[in-house]
Amino acid sequence: MTGEIVSEKNKLALQDICERCGVPETTVRAYVEEGVIEVEGENVARWRFSEVSMVRVLKAHRLERDLGLNPAGAALALDLIERIEELKSRLKRLEKDVP
Amino acid sequence: MEYKDYYKSLGVEKLATQDEIKRAYRKLARKYHPDLNKKEGSEEKFKEIGEANEVLKDPEKRAAYDQLGKGYRSGQEFRPPPDWDAGFEFSGGDRAGAHEFSDFFESLFGEAIRQRRAEGARTRFRAKGQDHHAKVLIDLEDAFRGARRTVVLKLPELSEDGRLAIRERRLDVTLPRGVREGQHIRLKGQGAPGLGGGEPGDLYLEIAFAPHPVYTAVGSDLYLDLPVTPWEAALGAKIKVPTPGGVVDLNVPAGSRQGRKLRLKGRGLPSRPPGDLYATLRIALPPADSAAAKKLYEQMADELDFDPRENLMREARQAERAGAK
Repeated sequence: MTGEIVSEKNKLALQDICERCGVPETTVRAYVEEGVIEVEGENVARWRFSEVSMVRVLKAHRLERDLGLNPAGAALALDLIERIEELKSRLKRLEKDVP
Repeated sequence: MEYKDYYKSLGVEKLATQDEIKRAYRKLARKYHPDLNKKEGSEEKFKEIGEANEVLKDPEKRAAYDQLGKGYRSGQEFRPPPDWDAGFEFSGGDRAGAHEFSDFFESLFGEAIRQRRAEGARTRFRAKGQDHHAKVLIDLEDAFRGARRTVVLKLPELSEDGRLAIRERRLDVTLPRGVREGQHIRLKGQGAPGLGGGEPGDLYLEIAFAPHPVYTAVGSDLYLDLPVTPWEAALGAKIKVPTPGGVVDLNVPAGSRQGRKLRLKGRGLPSRPPGDLYATLRIALPPADSAAAKKLYEQMADELDFDPRENLMREARQAERAGAK
């Protein structure tokens, strides 16, 4: 069985992303509002999400559920996690410069 | 089956209030949440506190657990008495998500929860199965060449006698070339089965790289430390460098300093466009361990007008003068 890389190219409608992530529409709308995920399309019926946002929805949802957060809190946590990841990878590179 | 001390898992007293339990859980959950803590073992720890919280946050389950656990210590062999849960009604508290609980938990609370779930499932008649997620650790070479991997997944499953058992599922997966750390791989139809004839969910694998002795991957770029001699750095040289695709020639420009990064375009991980490989120069000093080597160093000391501390001394003096003003 061959795996496929989850990429920005594959697009999903609002209903698809809700079904695939097992979350209600209100949750996905809240994430769009908080900027957790980017969306294309001028109105809700035409909204298209990249498959990568699915991974973000699931992560935000886990954080909300497990830590008792609201969507704004989950959005903040995701941003901070990403910043930490970025700094970690910079650190990894810099540590190579200091033998 | 081992008895589990849920109070110990959360680090609270047996007489802790519901508020104290909630606070203890939240604090530990933030510490060990697998999305926040990538350290090995944090996921197991998170499951353990999740399970403890599942029981202790619910006064009904907590009362039942207290009743049952009198006199048991953590890890002790444990067998629940038949019909032990008669007289307790478990309500509320949905086990959302893909939590896996221990056999201990399942034998105590599993049945009541499964019944409630079955009732819920009947109301929806057709649905796509849930997507599953797992992490997979691969070697950098696998990402470079593409690789076949056997992924072992642990799935909770109902056996014929209605008990919950953990089944291992093995999947042979071909990983595409050029997959990067942190990317996800989708395996269509390998998630949970659908309900009422719905299609099965997908399986997502999150890719992590095992540490590599030579290369460090950042996105699709690779970094490596490249030892060079002082004369190679000073005079320039053509030297051999390992890359995942094989050894290549690299020109070290004359007058290169320690820490200089040289780019080998397109020699990183495959991607569109392919990543680059950065070689950081490390100037290695030859040891003065023979008469000939000592003589060469002495000759340099005599003939070269080289003072590496020149700037250091001047800057220190300037700083002193500035401070005196």
